[in-house]
Amino acid sequence: MTDVSQAKKTGEDRLKATISSITHTFTYEETAYHLPISYALTGIPVHDQKAALDVFAKTGSNPLVASECILADRTATNGKDDAPFTGFISDTVIRKLGYSLVDGSILGLALIVGTPKSADRASAICRELQEKYMLTFLAGGVVPSLSGAGVKLGLDYRLIPLGSTPAYGIHFVDIIARVAMMFGGVTPGDIHRLLTYAAERAKAIVIVFPGLSDEEIALVDGMRVLGFPILSLDDYTGGEWIAEKPESVVRTGMDLKGIRVNVTAIPIPMGCSPAFEGKSIRKEEMYVEFGGGRSPAFELLRMQPVDAIEDGKVTVIGPEIDSMKEGSANPLAIIIDVAGKTMKKDYEPVLERRIHNFVNYGEGSWHVAQRDLIWVRISKEVVAKGIKIEHIGKLLASKFRMDFPQLLDAVAVTLITDPDKVLAAKKEAETVYEERDARIKGMRDADINTYYSCTLCQTFAPNHVCVITPERPALCGAISWLDGKIAFEMSPSGANQPIEKGSVINELTGEYEGVNRFVKKASHGEIERCALYSVMEYPMTCCGCFEAIALMLPEVNGIMVVNREFKGITPSGMTFSTLAGTIGGGAQTPGFAGISKYYILSDKFLQGEGGIERLVWMPAQLREELRPRLIKKLEEWGHPDLFDKIADESNAATIEDLIAYLESVHHPARSMKPLM
Amino acid sequence: MAFDINFDWTGSISEVTLGATKAQGGTRSVSYTIGRDTTLPFLSPDSGTPSPLIAFEICDYPVYWSPLIRKYCGDLCDHVDQWATAAEKTYGADMVRLHLTSTKQRNFSDIASVGKTVESVLSATSLPLIIEGSNEPKIDSEVFQKCGESAQGERLLLGTAEASRYRSIAAAALAYNHSVIAQSPIDINLAKQLNILLKEIGVQRDHIVIDPYTGALGYGFEYSYSAMERIRFSALKGDTDLAMPMICSSADTLTIKEVREADEKGQDEMAIKWEFYTGFAAAVAGSEIICVRHPETIPMLKAAFASLRNGAKSAGVP
Repeated sequence: MTDVSQAKKTGEDRLKATISSITHTFTYEETAYHLPISYALTGIPVHDQKAALDVFAKTGSNPLVASECILADRTATNGKDDAPFTGFISDTVIRKLGYSLVDGSILGLALIVGTPKSADRASAICRELQEKYMLTFLAGGVVPSLSGAGVKLGLDYRLIPLGSTPAYGIHFVDIIARVAMMFGGVTPGDIHRLLTYAAERAKAIVIVFPGLSDEEIALVDGMRVLGFPILSLDDYTGGEWIAEKPESVVRTGMDLKGIRVNVTAIPIPMGCSPAFEGKSIRKEEMYVEFGGGRSPAFELLRMQPVDAIEDGKVTVIGPEIDSMKEGSANPLAIIIDVAGKTMKKDYEPVLERRIHNFVNYGEGSWHVAQRDLIWVRISKEVVAKGIKIEHIGKLLASKFRMDFPQLLDAVAVTLITDPDKVLAAKKEAETVYEERDARIKGMRDADINTYYSCTLCQTFAPNHVCVITPERPALCGAISWLDGKIAFEMSPSGANQPIEKGSVINELTGEYEGVNRFVKKASHGEIERCALYSVMEYPMTCCGCFEAIALMLPEVNGIMVVNREFKGITPSGMTFSTLAGTIGGGAQTPGFAGISKYYILSDKFLQGEGGIERLVWMPAQLREELRPRLIKKLEEWGHPDLFDKIADESNAATIEDLIAYLESVHHPARSMKPLM
Repeated sequence: MAFDINFDWTGSISEVTLGATKAQGGTRSVSYTIGRDTTLPFLSPDSGTPSPLIAFEICDYPVYWSPLIRKYCGDLCDHVDQWATAAEKTYGADMVRLHLTSTKQRNFSDIASVGKTVESVLSATSLPLIIEGSNEPKIDSEVFQKCGESAQGERLLLGTAEASRYRSIAAAALAYNHSVIAQSPIDINLAKQLNILLKEIGVQRDHIVIDPYTGALGYGFEYSYSAMERIRFSALKGDTDLAMPMICSSADTLTIKEVREADEKGQDEMAIKWEFYTGFAAAVAGSEIICVRHPETIPMLKAAFASLRNGAKSAGVP
């Protein structure tokens, strides 16, 4: 057994001695990057001992620099290794390699050094690397070992023999240094960017067989600074190398660098692309529908332990589409189980929201709203092509894997169409929704300086910007402040961006200088001001996904709320859908605000208009849904008797009825400061 | 009365350089830098690039090309190098846009021929080139690699990246320092998304030209116009992910009903007019490269652009 840390020390000392004894001048041909590692690290072109020692000192006696200079010197003295060895690789070839990396036809790079105990082991590892679209470089005894076993080598086979000894492994690093300078915008001498590029962008792993000299161990160990995992097979102990078995070494290395073989095509009989996202499926075009108030339906994404899920599995419980009547509304549960090493429970609701996009990617599948409000349609056209419920599951399973390759290792989808089972599962989902809502309870807007934006809906409402605070969830009700924060962590250039709220402009209406600045930019200059807690002045824009609408009724000096499920005419003279059509599309409409249902229970609701006393009407069903929580809140706010004074369609169907009703119950809104 | 033609806009369009002269490491006789506008096009004779560039489109396998153009250009269509020379010397185009239509053939695999075609066109014309690579995802990687390599140093404009397939083009642009056409289906948000994808993979802003997709006038152009207008407004208001110059190709105009059904004598005239008005409208909406396929459209566009400039000046519009 070789002790890595011991050998490394000796090796480093020897490298130091050898670099001091360089005598020649040296130049690699066909490169504009001199000695690429030294050049990338310091910006100094090295061609003789003086410059070599200078760079060696400047980089804190780096073993990679020493190895690079020593090999260059040796090559100048002894000439290149004979074929099949490539030695130093020219810039032209590196451009091609870099091309394949950016292009995705190569997923990552591997270096194998040393001499394997058996050729079979080495060839099995190489075969696996080839199958997984890795480009492999070889240095040392592994090369004759592979050729002896009849393995074909060369760029066409993605197995490149660099040189006869492991010391040639240094070329692996000079290749990555050049890729960083050619493709990564790394300027020579910018160590920080080089290291960041190597660690984050270069998908490289190193596999070590036995038989390395101390200097070579120092060289390989030096690659750790670039973030490459060093995986050793046999013979090594100590140090920070990862001891691995031949059968799992490739998988471990690829996992450690997050290199994944991607799914590219979804095997279902309809088109699937973001291009279809904006379409709608009208009643006449629809074969069946689910939810939308016509039948029970919900969606739920939950995290599971990795061994509890079979990746890609789709289960349909209940009747398939061919036994559903054309034009009918059917129950549906979409349950997505996911697992992944970096997955967190907090991410569930954020990922769940993506079901909306993914279902809409289908050429003939359509989805709106979220949680237990979803409404899904499937078109006649694609049912004729053979689309089944099962395929929607396949689409979801594939898209989640494709779009979150870093996060998810396994995705399984269960679709329930059996009425009783949907209802049973829905109960369970509702507890999950409540738990999620409870998680954010207790956080206050005033205590937090960073809010989050949501511009997911800009696909159809191009200037809409949701500002999400702890006390004001997104108007769709599906994204809380916490979700926004997590979504930003998961995808820093995505639709949820942090907003520094900045200095206060109006505390009461919730207008902040930083929020205004952000909204102006994100709305492409359309919206100048945004008051978070106001319906009357500079309310937030509305996309179209709001769970409810709060609107001013000038006749009664109050504000009413109507939710999406309410089908009747409200005292404003309009139905929900007419109202939604008037205020949606990303516009700012004073007197109207799109809100989530949960926001009604927030301390901030109607703060700009003088508080909850303004609330005069809401549909009976919504009133019942909120009853226990709203009564509790009203008590906290000091209006224990207000709940019964809020009218609904049973006692106030028209504005005249509402005026009379509010009069009869002495509703406080009547005597408040005029709204207009 | 003084009038601020920049309104309160703070953004500007990024510069993109097309073509490299000998001094810049290429072999072109001219190099254009488009972009840098701070307001809408044609508001001032001094703002932005002098006039939109006119690119003449040719192809290396004319079977799929408009019969009208094949008839007009005659034998040239079978000799892509001579066609390229004609674009420069006879037709007076500013750029040549080469479509590698040969790659559309079933089971096309002769990648080496792609390199030869690119090289022959490069030596037949000294104008900066736009190259449209393969139309088949399976061979994208090889085709773009070959295009990029064959024209290394020439600062090509490579097309066409879409959200679902942009990696090969981006890789060719990165590896050989070319620029990229980023096409989205008449949708400002998808345009932005694609630009972000390209940025993430490493393509710099000054190497991207947006193709918002151009419908023919009367056949959806109003949507293109509106998308272009919004892209430009967003750019001027400071959205750097949309602040790139735009390119439009009015190729669809050659296949519309009015052209197809025109009598044989009037067919050319109809095609030219349609191509002209579509290209002209695209220029007004902010496109800085207008691609045409009918040679006779070129002088008309040139005259129109010139009159817009001079007209604005002589009318005293600031």
